[in-house]
Amino acid sequence: MSENVILSTHGLHKSYGKGDGRFEALRGVNLEIKQGESVAIIGKSGSGKSTLMHLLALLDKPTKGSIELDGENTSKLRQKQLNQLRNKKFGFVFQSFFMNANDTVLNNVILPLKIAGVRPGERRRKAMHALKIVGLDDKAKNKANDLSGGQKQRVCIARAIVNDPEIIFADEPTGNLDSVTGDRVEKILFDLNHKKGITLIIVTHDPDLANKCDRQIRIADGRVVNGKAVEDEDIVYAKKPPTYYTHDSGDTDADGMLDVLEEDA
Amino acid sequence: MKLFDIIKDANQNLLRNKLRSFLTILAIFIGSFSIISTSAIQAGVNNFIDSQVDSYGGDGYLAIVSKDSFDALEGLQGSMGSSSGPVEYDPDKIQTGMSPITEEQLDKLKKIDGIDADSIVEEKNISITYVTSDKTDKKYLIGAEALPPGNVKVDLEAGEQLDLRADEYQILLESKYVDALGFTNDEIVNNKIKLVVLDEYTHTEKTFEAKVKGIIAPGVVSMGQQYTNNKLADDIYEENTKYYPEEVKSQVFAVAANYDYEKYSAQEMKDKLEDIGLSAMTIEDIIGTIKSFFDVILTVFKIFGLIALLAAAIGIINTLFMSVQERTREIGLDKALGMSSKRVFFSFSLEAIMLGFWGSVVGIVMSMVIGNLANAAFHAPGAFLETFPTFQLVQYTIPDIIGVTVLIMTIAFISGTFPARQAAHKNPIDALRYE
Ligand SMILES: Nc1ncnc2c1ncn2[C@@H]1O[C@H](COP(=O)(O)OP(=O)(O)OP(=O)(O)O)[C@@H](O)[C@H]1O
Ligand SMILES: [Mg+2]
Repeated sequence: MSENVILSTHGLHKSYGKGDGRFEALRGVNLEIKQGESVAIIGKSGSGKSTLMHLLALLDKPTKGSIELDGENTSKLRQKQLNQLRNKKFGFVFQSFFMNANDTVLNNVILPLKIAGVRPGERRRKAMHALKIVGLDDKAKNKANDLSGGQKQRVCIARAIVNDPEIIFADEPTGNLDSVTGDRVEKILFDLNHKKGITLIIVTHDPDLANKCDRQIRIADGRVVNGKAVEDEDIVYAKKPPTYYTHDSGDTDADGMLDVLEEDA
Repeated sequence: MKLFDIIKDANQNLLRNKLRSFLTILAIFIGSFSIISTSAIQAGVNNFIDSQVDSYGGDGYLAIVSKDSFDALEGLQGSMGSSSGPVEYDPDKIQTGMSPITEEQLDKLKKIDGIDADSIVEEKNISITYVTSDKTDKKYLIGAEALPPGNVKVDLEAGEQLDLRADEYQILLESKYVDALGFTNDEIVNNKIKLVVLDEYTHTEKTFEAKVKGIIAPGVVSMGQQYTNNKLADDIYEENTKYYPEEVKSQVFAVAANYDYEKYSAQEMKDKLEDIGLSAMTIEDIIGTIKSFFDVILTVFKIFGLIALLAAAIGIINTLFMSVQERTREIGLDKALGMSSKRVFFSFSLEAIMLGFWGSVVGIVMSMVIGNLANAAFHAPGAFLETFPTFQLVQYTIPDIIGVTVLIMTIAFISGTFPARQAAHKNPIDALRYE
């Protein structure tokens, strides 16, 4: 794991609305994220976690302050460059699986490559590879809507990694999943982090997941606060059963997935 | 993102909501169908008239009347349209206010540069009481006029053109007379028929035996008229007017003449004639009146088609606005994953253009199918176009087809820009938060 800072923010402010309705969601956030790190962004609901993640992912612009990516101030970048950065360097996993439900699994995974203008043969090959990593290559032709929740989230991970990103942003990647499926998704994410060196930035309410990350960044009322890694107030879920793998029938087992990653390395 | 992908996606998005796309295309289809159909009829009619004029020749032909007569005729027409008041009665003028061409004017006309002096003939209205032949006892009504001078070629089914200056009586007959007079086409050519003029005072008949030179092919220009050579027309006219006082007989109301159309334009000749108080019309002027009559009717239909298209345009806007609304999250995802606003705009515009494209294609194809069936039906035995075998009432030209398609796709594109702009301006964050 290298010690290069890949993302840093300086006095990040973000406010929504105007006049009386004006609300400051972020009030001066300073942080650094190193290449290859896994970072959990935690905090109470409404504290500004998603807002921060959107800014880090260059999906939105700060009201004040700056974000540096690979040491370069991103406020200077033009829209076209921002689009390309997101397309090539970032991968996204959203809480409520954003996909085109009526399209096939394969087409959903292909989307970033299609936007990038990759040739059909090449993008098919890459998408199948990504699906293999998440153990869903046999579902490639299925309609995305027909998958289970856990499978959907894995499709989203496949889509996030299909373009070989440097950073994966995940907003509540396990929030909608039961603990077993959630663990499975977590395992894929951390495998990617360990084996491929992809930087992970995970927004989560789940203390277990947060504790598995190298570092936790706590947000409260739009500021980074120090303190215990995971406070009791964050534990909103019932205590989980111990982490082990149960095999959903029909799915490739986790070891199979690891093999794919090892072949890659 | 590749163009091919964008086109494929646009088509797929249209297919996603088949019923909605179908209804929108149906609305466009109505506009496209009516516009292409009227264009096709217009092309058919104009083409027919042009081909008639071409076969007729008539380059360099001028129909000349005095300027007073011309104005009086215009006045008469004008008074129907209420644009000017009725024409005042003038005891010096005859009939409908026609005034004769003077000797002096005729002399000047002969000397005008570009006018072929030898070609000038008086236009005479001749009246024949009936026509018959040796092969039948039946008598038929018939109308005839002297063939205008010059380069006129009558479209013939059989036989050959008249020799205008021949010393014998010659006539070109409409084909309906061939059978009636007891002949076949082959037999009647160069055979003689009898044209009879009745003297109403003495109740005696005078018969002109005329040689049939050719059979006129059916058409608009020749409709209901037979053509005679000059000698036949002159002699029948002489018989028709034998009781007229000399000064009336000598009056000339209209002449026909040829001009050098390679050297002068029709307008130049008209100006020259204007200077000596004469007015002239070319074949094109005469045909133009028929054409503009059709044009007015067809333009009205085209306007209906355009109104239908405007309604369809609103349909396109509505469909796409709904689609943008439904796909808010999808657009947000596309943009989050790096799709540019321009691409989003382009792909929605393309959907609009596709709707326009399919609407116009369906309209054109349907119109062509129905048009060709109609053409066949009109030419069936007993149908009204039976006697015009070459006349396709409905004609589809490549420029019309391309023109209508481009017009509709343009209208669709312009309609599509409103929803497309809304989609392009969507912020990925707002779109992703949208439930
Ligand atoms: N577009 C917006 N307009 C106005 N206020 C907004 C907007 N987006 C977020 N906010 C406000 O900013 C604050 C932070 O929102 P954010 O979504 O970052 O919270 P969060 O920490 O992700 O919460 P959760 O854990 O529930 O997802 C909230 O109070 C929210 O109401
Ligand atoms: Mg959130």
